[in-house]
Amino acid sequence: MSLHIICCVKQVPDPETPASQFRVDEAAKKVIPAPGIAPVPSQFDTIGVEAALRIRDALGDVKITVLSLGPESFRDAIKHCLAMGADEGVLINDPALAEADHWVTAQALAAAIQKLAPYDLVITGRQAVDWDMGVVGPTLAELLGIPCITIVKDVKVQDGKVVAERVLLDGFETVEAPLPAVVTVSNELGEPRYPQLRQIMMAARKQVTVWTAADLGLDPSQLKNRVNIEALYVPQTKVETEFIEGDTVEEKVDRLLQRLREAKLI
Amino acid sequence: MAIEVKVRSLRVRQLLAALSFFIAVALIPLVAALVVIAASQGMGEATRQVFFNIVKWARILVYAVTAVILLVLAYGPLSRLRLWLLGKKEERWDRPWERARFFLLYGVGQGRLPNDLYAGLMHLLIFWGWTFLFIGTVMLAFHDDFVEYLEGHVYLGYSLALDLAGVAATVGIIMALYRRYIWKHPKMRLGSLWDDVALLWLMLAILLTGFVIEGMRVGMTELQGATIDVHGGLATDPDWAPWSPVGFLIGKAALESGASQGFMEMLHKSLWWLHLAMATGWVAWVGYGKISHILLGSANIFFRKLSPTGAALAGTALAPIADFETAERFGAGYLRDFTWKQLMDVDVCVRCGRCEAHCPAYNTGKELTPMGFLQDIKRYLTEMGPRLLAARRKGEEVPDERPVAGDVVSFNTIWDCVTCGACEYQCPLFIEHIPKLMDMRRYLVMEQANMPETAQATLMQLEQRGHPWRGTQLTRTTWIEELAREGVQVPMFDGSQEYLYWVGCTGALQERNVKVTKAIVRLLLQAGVSFGVLGAEETCSGDPARRLGNEYLFQMQAQQNIETFKAKGVKKVIANCPHCFNTIRHEYPQLGGHFQVVHHTQLLAQLVAEGRLQPRTIEELWGFPVTYHDPCYLARHNDIVSEPRQVLQAMGLETVEMERHRKHTFCCGAGGGHMWVEESKGRRINHTRTAEAVASGARVVAVACPFCLQMFEEGAGSVPEAAKQGIQVLDVAELLERSVAYSRAATVR
Repeated sequence: MSLHIICCVKQVPDPETPASQFRVDEAAKKVIPAPGIAPVPSQFDTIGVEAALRIRDALGDVKITVLSLGPESFRDAIKHCLAMGADEGVLINDPALAEADHWVTAQALAAAIQKLAPYDLVITGRQAVDWDMGVVGPTLAELLGIPCITIVKDVKVQDGKVVAERVLLDGFETVEAPLPAVVTVSNELGEPRYPQLRQIMMAARKQVTVWTAADLGLDPSQLKNRVNIEALYVPQTKVETEFIEGDTVEEKVDRLLQRLREAKLI
Repeated sequence: MAIEVKVRSLRVRQLLAALSFFIAVALIPLVAALVVIAASQGMGEATRQVFFNIVKWARILVYAVTAVILLVLAYGPLSRLRLWLLGKKEERWDRPWERARFFLLYGVGQGRLPNDLYAGLMHLLIFWGWTFLFIGTVMLAFHDDFVEYLEGHVYLGYSLALDLAGVAATVGIIMALYRRYIWKHPKMRLGSLWDDVALLWLMLAILLTGFVIEGMRVGMTELQGATIDVHGGLATDPDWAPWSPVGFLIGKAALESGASQGFMEMLHKSLWWLHLAMATGWVAWVGYGKISHILLGSANIFFRKLSPTGAALAGTALAPIADFETAERFGAGYLRDFTWKQLMDVDVCVRCGRCEAHCPAYNTGKELTPMGFLQDIKRYLTEMGPRLLAARRKGEEVPDERPVAGDVVSFNTIWDCVTCGACEYQCPLFIEHIPKLMDMRRYLVMEQANMPETAQATLMQLEQRGHPWRGTQLTRTTWIEELAREGVQVPMFDGSQEYLYWVGCTGALQERNVKVTKAIVRLLLQAGVSFGVLGAEETCSGDPARRLGNEYLFQMQAQQNIETFKAKGVKKVIANCPHCFNTIRHEYPQLGGHFQVVHHTQLLAQLVAEGRLQPRTIEELWGFPVTYHDPCYLARHNDIVSEPRQVLQAMGLETVEMERHRKHTFCCGAGGGHMWVEESKGRRINHTRTAEAVASGARVVAVACPFCLQMFEEGAGSVPEAAKQGIQVLDVAELLERSVAYSRAATVR
């Protein structure tokens, strides 16, 4: 049985950008890209590709398509996933979708997924590591009208069903769902694999299919964001230092304990 | 303060070397000859009968046997050569004169053996003793069959020299037996294989039978003044006998103990045949087994890797993969992925254990042993090589061939290496360990993506962010902005300055190392050096990627830097990281980037010597013994050991040396990408080294490498003795900057 897995991948500002370099434009309510720091594929999404590759390692006959929505630069993220071992890449690139929120993103992705049909499994990261909303995966499932299993640490396909282990606060639960389904993966699944050089070289030669909203039969003017950003700012952290005085060590410790109690820290 | 800088030009050193060589090869034999002539007055007739007491046809037999033996001898190396040629092509014929010089120095001269005094002396005695005996035997054949010249002084001197050679070889063999059986030296950890044992006993037997044969001959002829069959009958003289001192003593003892003429004849005759059989057998053996290092080891020294940039070791500059598109395989996974020279290397290893005794990985309980992995490949080559040859002839595959990388040689062995070069520096046969391990890493990384998690994280980090320091909160310009706030303007390189100061990722992105970078900049400004930095345009030099097996990433990073350098008109580079220094110096030329690179300690030493920086003793450091830790990539890989010490001396600091220093230095544990790769097991290498620094009695460890600085700082906090001794770790530049600032303040006052 041949299986088709679609992995949704987003490119994000490097989460390791030094805090001093992270700036936002409060008026435009936008993040200003840090100079000289290249964006990276969102870590959870590459873990999603890893999950798909593991299914292929186990079953053999699996086609993996990487799907992304964003500007031309997102091609790098797709190439990275192709180098990891994915078969095909699709980029939805349309200036009209540049300001898409999770709702519009999910609409566009869902349209692309339907165009890529037949498909058996859609894998996304549990959340993108920039906005950390974690809603595109479940929204996709809703739009596609298929089951959704979120935040999983292991995913298998057995007897035409998907079997996944969901991460809980105090352990995990095993859940199964009929195919097709959406699964969102968590970091507990493990590190994404390192691309082999031959695959990097092959990925460099592979064509990435580019679709616009029109290609997907979408009318951008009908797609309205549902999330409104009221304000965007870097939180201010304030550090106050207080030295506890005292003549003896015991006295200092007593006063320290007293201050900590007053501050309700102990 | 007057600074004494030892200037010993190359010319002077060469002259000294030539002089001592002349003394060794010309003067000593000349004096010896004069002494012999003076002492052997009136013995002009002295000579010996060559086939004394032996049947006439023995002479023909000896020649016949020799011919057969030489054929048997030649078959050994030829059969090995066929196995080596399973490997890939590699050019090792360039610069033949330089190769000949190395061969004389390290083959004939055995230049590397004194690194281990006992074993070196032992080998020297056996080698020279045996060589003289061999030459003597050939001389005797020439005398007997062509021109009779071994007469009078010449004969007596010859006889004495050969007896002494025999004694030397015997002493050497006994030293070896003692080391193997009584001392049980740890270098013989792999145990005695049959040819180790048989070889020593056979050589001892050849020597002892030779002496007894000589003793019987002297006893039957010279000591009795008997007439021998030379020139139709020549009366011998007892005065000749002491010129064969060992034979003289044995012969005299035999006569005094009342041995009969018949017994002596019989003993002489039977031992003569035994000696002949053993000696010719030994010659045949030289084509095989351990003793074949006489031929193969010599050849290996001749074929050593020669560097176009003066790299000290084979592992200093790794060979590039020329074309990724057409490469059959990246790195070395199977036997045929190694080059012929790499396969020859594993074959010539004689398990002497010098590499292992100095390997930081092995000595801290890791899986890697340089000698061990060579022997593993050697065994597999011997086992699988002939089958591969047969299969190649038939155009078939060998289905059960095991990969070398990760199977014959274990995963941990390949990843334990810190590329410090101690093994290569020690190896008397110039075996090139590091390139083999690195080629196997390339295979594991680029073909299989099989590596320790920490290595993978580092490579991903290098690829995505262009530097290895994950999670740093600094940028490449943070330190420049900080200095600007202190009123120090760091010049940006624009092509008008003499030097580019290459800061390196660690110097810019690690808080502790930023202090060193700032110290260097202050010193350069103070001395009026014309320099600039690249700031945000710097990226990783490529060393970590290359040493972690991702040659592709290395070439991309190096190419990018070379292009930046060329675009900006960079000619000279100052590097404070020995790893960047090494890569720019020896590896960028492989990709067309030729730049003159200087390490900051070299430049600082020069500035101090020229009086452009005037250090003086810092009072608060009085009485604090300082020890200098040689970074592997300066000392062993680049021969830089004096300059950092000159800087410390100029400051008038009390310096002490650690047990392992200069080119014998012990790695801090961070080389070969191990700054970011977790050690597999055993004690941490940096803790071992920190303990050694503590044992030297030092309070300050002076370093010259950003990784060493990190490693020692960690060690100083984690090794209890270090914390107790209050070990401080400072870069040479930091010490100098304090000292110069102190000096300046004092002048103002």
